[in-house]
Amino acid sequence: MRDTPKWQRPIEIPPEAMAADPAEHPPHQPARDIPLDKAQTVEDDTSLELPPSPPQSNVRSRGWLVPLLGTLVVLAIGAELYRLISWSISTHPLLGGAFSLLTLLLMLVVGIEIRRGLSGSRQLRQVQGLQQQAEALLQQTSHGDSTALLHQLEQRYHHTALKNELQGAITQLDSSYNDREIIQYLSRHALNQADRTAQRCVQRYSVESGVMVALSPWASFDMLLVAWRNLRMIREIATVYGIAPGLLTQGKLLKQVLQNLAFAGASEVAMDAGSALLGSSLTSSLSARAGQGIGAGLFTARTGLMTIKLCRPLPEPDRPKNMLQQIAKGIVHRLTSGKPETGTDRK
Amino acid sequence: MSIPNKLGGLIRQSGLTDWPEQLKMSVERGMEQRVRLAVTGLSRSGKTVFISALARHLLQSEQGRSLPFFAAASEGRIVATRDLSTESPSPFPLQQCLAGLQASPPHWPNSTEALSEIRLALRYRRKPGLGRALGEHSTLYLDLIDYPGEWLLDLPMLTLSFEQWCKQQQALFASLPRTEVAADWIAQQSGIDWLAPAPEGLRQRLTERYRSLLQQLREPPYNLSLLQPGRLLMPAELAGSPLLDLFPIIQNWPEAPENADTNSLFTQLQQAYNDYCEQVVRPFYRNHFRHFDRQIVLVDCLKTLNSGESCFNDMQLALTTLLHSFQYGRNSLFRRLFRPRINRVLFAATKADHVTANQHHNLDQFLRLMIEAAQREIRFEQVETRCLALSSLRATEAAQARLDGQHLSCLRGHRKDTGEEIALFPGEVPTELPRAEDWNSDRFRFVDFAPRPLPAGTLRPEHHIRLDQAIEYLLGDLF
Repeated sequence: MRDTPKWQRPIEIPPEAMAADPAEHPPHQPARDIPLDKAQTVEDDTSLELPPSPPQSNVRSRGWLVPLLGTLVVLAIGAELYRLISWSISTHPLLGGAFSLLTLLLMLVVGIEIRRGLSGSRQLRQVQGLQQQAEALLQQTSHGDSTALLHQLEQRYHHTALKNELQGAITQLDSSYNDREIIQYLSRHALNQADRTAQRCVQRYSVESGVMVALSPWASFDMLLVAWRNLRMIREIATVYGIAPGLLTQGKLLKQVLQNLAFAGASEVAMDAGSALLGSSLTSSLSARAGQGIGAGLFTARTGLMTIKLCRPLPEPDRPKNMLQQIAKGIVHRLTSGKPETGTDRK
Repeated sequence: MSIPNKLGGLIRQSGLTDWPEQLKMSVERGMEQRVRLAVTGLSRSGKTVFISALARHLLQSEQGRSLPFFAAASEGRIVATRDLSTESPSPFPLQQCLAGLQASPPHWPNSTEALSEIRLALRYRRKPGLGRALGEHSTLYLDLIDYPGEWLLDLPMLTLSFEQWCKQQQALFASLPRTEVAADWIAQQSGIDWLAPAPEGLRQRLTERYRSLLQQLREPPYNLSLLQPGRLLMPAELAGSPLLDLFPIIQNWPEAPENADTNSLFTQLQQAYNDYCEQVVRPFYRNHFRHFDRQIVLVDCLKTLNSGESCFNDMQLALTTLLHSFQYGRNSLFRRLFRPRINRVLFAATKADHVTANQHHNLDQFLRLMIEAAQREIRFEQVETRCLALSSLRATEAAQARLDGQHLSCLRGHRKDTGEEIALFPGEVPTELPRAEDWNSDRFRFVDFAPRPLPAGTLRPEHHIRLDQAIEYLLGDLF
C-alpha cells in the first residue's frame, strides 16, 4: 500500500516555462543626454524635514472621562449645596445666611486655588520650553541664537527672587561667547543661590523624613509621613525656582517627578544603588528600622533632585554626585547622636 | 683626607645628592600634584603671551572673577597661588612681560631669545567627597617653559641622519617660494665639488647666505615655518660658534660620499650636523622636552590665511613633523612615576580676538583642517584632543557697524604697526581649504592689533577669550 507523500518532490523547471515577472524586470530606461539648462542641482534641504510628532493616544474615550466626571461632580455638589441652602433658609433665615456666606467663601478660595494652579502649570510649561531651547542651544556653536532665550528668561523671572542673580550673570556675559558657552555660563553662574537653597531644602527634608520613618512606631503611618514631607518639599522647591505654589501645580509636578523617577536611566539607578548600598553598610550596625529610614530618606532625596531638574530653567551643569551619600550619612548621624536610646534595639 | 670626605665627594659626583629631590618630584607627579604643561608653538604663535596671561590669571584665581569656566576658581576653591620661578636658574621674565602689556601705550613682549621656566604653586581646597580624606587642602605645582619657537623645529632632526635631512631639504627647496628665493644660493651650490678639499671660508660664506635666506623666508610675505636648523635664526648663546656653520646640500649630492676627503665640505657639514644634533638639540630635548603630562599646541591660523597656500602647507608640515617628537599615551600609575607621557592635548587657534566672534567656530574648523594629520596620530594613541579658538590677551573690542542698511559685527582696536585706531570687519574664516585663486584675493584681511592695556588690578573675563576653558580642559581634572 502506497500513500502519496505529504511533501512535494523536487522538480526541475526549464527556464522557458518560467512566467516572466514584470515586477522583477522592469523595462530599462535608455541612456540619453539632457540639456544642461534643464538639469537642476539637487539640494540637500534638510530644513523641510519635520521632526517626528509624538504618537497620538488612540484612546479617545479617556479624553472625555475627566471633563465628564468633573461636570458631574460639580453639578452634584452644586445641587447638594443648593438643597442645603434652601433647606437652611426655610428653617431659619439666619442659618441660611450663615450657610450662604460659607459657600461663598469656599467658592472664593477654590477660585483662587484654581487660578494659582493654572498660572503654576503655565509657568511649568514655560520652564519646560526654556529647558528644551537651552538643550538645543547646547548642541550648537552658532552665534546670536540665544538672544531670544535670554529675553524670555529675563521676562519670565522679572518678578521673582531669581531676578538679581540672573540679570547679573546676563550682564556679565562676554561678547565672544557662542550659544553653547552662554548656556553653560548661565547654568553655572545664574542660579547659584537658588540651587544652593533648593539643595539645602532637599537635604533637610530627606534627613527629616528618614529620621521620622526610623522612629515612627507604625509601619502604615510611614507612607503618609513620607508623602507629606515629599509634597511639602516639592512645593518649597517650586517656590525657590519662582513657580507659583498651588495644589494643582504640586500635583502636576509630583506626577512628572514620579514618571521621571520610574523611567530613570540605568546609570542613575546604578549610582543611586551604590549610595543605597553604602547606606545599608552604615546601618548594618544599627537596626532594620534605621535601614528603612535611610531608604525613605533616599527616596525623598531622589524626588527632590528630580524636582530641581524639572523646575530649573536651564539644564544642570553636573549633579552633586555624593549628595545621596551625604544624606544617608546625615540620617545615620542624627539617629546615633540625636537619640542614643536606639542602642537598645541594635542587633 | 678622611673617608667620610671621600665618600661625600663620590656621592656628589654620582649625583646621589639629587636623589631625594628627584624622588620627591616623582612622588608628587605620581600623586598628580606636579604637572608639566608643554606650551608648544612655532615662532610668533603667542607662547610668551599665553604663559604671561595664564600666570597672571592664575595668580589672581583666588578671587574667582576672571576665569568663569575654570571650575576650581569659579567655585572659590583656590586658596592662593604662588610664583616659584625664582627657584629656577632661568626664571621667566613675567614682570617684564606684564610691564610691557600694562604700559601706555602697551606693546607685545619681544620675541623670546632664550629658554626660561616658570613654576606656579596653586593651593586649593579639595572637592567635597572621598578625596577630602587626604586632607582638605592640597597643592598643585605647574611647570611651564618658554623658549624660542625656532628651536622647536630642531627636534625632528634628532631622528634624521645628515643624508636624510639633506634629502628632506631638497624636497622642500624644490617648490615655491623657496626655489625662487634661494635661486642664487642653489646655483652657487651646483658648482661645488663636495668631496674635494674645501677652500678656506667657503663654508662660512654659504652658511651666511643660508642664514639670510632663512630670515627672508621667515618674514612676510613668505611667513614660512619649517626652517632648519633653528639656531641659525635664533642662536642665543651659540652666536658665532662653528657648530652653526651648517646648511643642507641641495645640489649634486655626491655619488660616493665614502670617498670624501677629510677636509671636504661634505665631511665638515656631516660632522657639524652630528655635533649640532648631539651637543645642541639633544640636551635641549633631554632637559626640557621629555616628561610632559599635558600639552597645548598654539597655532596662528590667521597668518597662513594672510600669506597663502605655501605658508599653510609649510606650517602643516612643520606641526606634523614636530609633534612626532613628543610622547603620547595613557599613563598608568607606574608610568606616571617614572616616564610620564602626554595624555591630553589641546590645539588652540590663537588670535581669536582678531576675528569677529561669529567667526570663532570657523576658526576652530580651519584649525582642524590644519592639524588633521597630527590629530589623527595622537588619537591613535588614545589620547584626548580638542580644538579651541582662544585669545590669551584680548586686543580688540567687539563692535557693531551699520553699513548699507544692515548690521555688521566688527572689531575695534589699534593697529600694531601704526598705532592708529581702526574698526574692521576682517572677513570670514573659511572652513574648507580655499582654492588656489582664493588665497590672494581680497577675501580676508587680518590685521595685527596692538594689545589693549592690561589693568594692574583685578582682571575680568573680557581680558581673554576662552583662556579659562583651555585651563579647565588641560588642568581642570586635577583639582
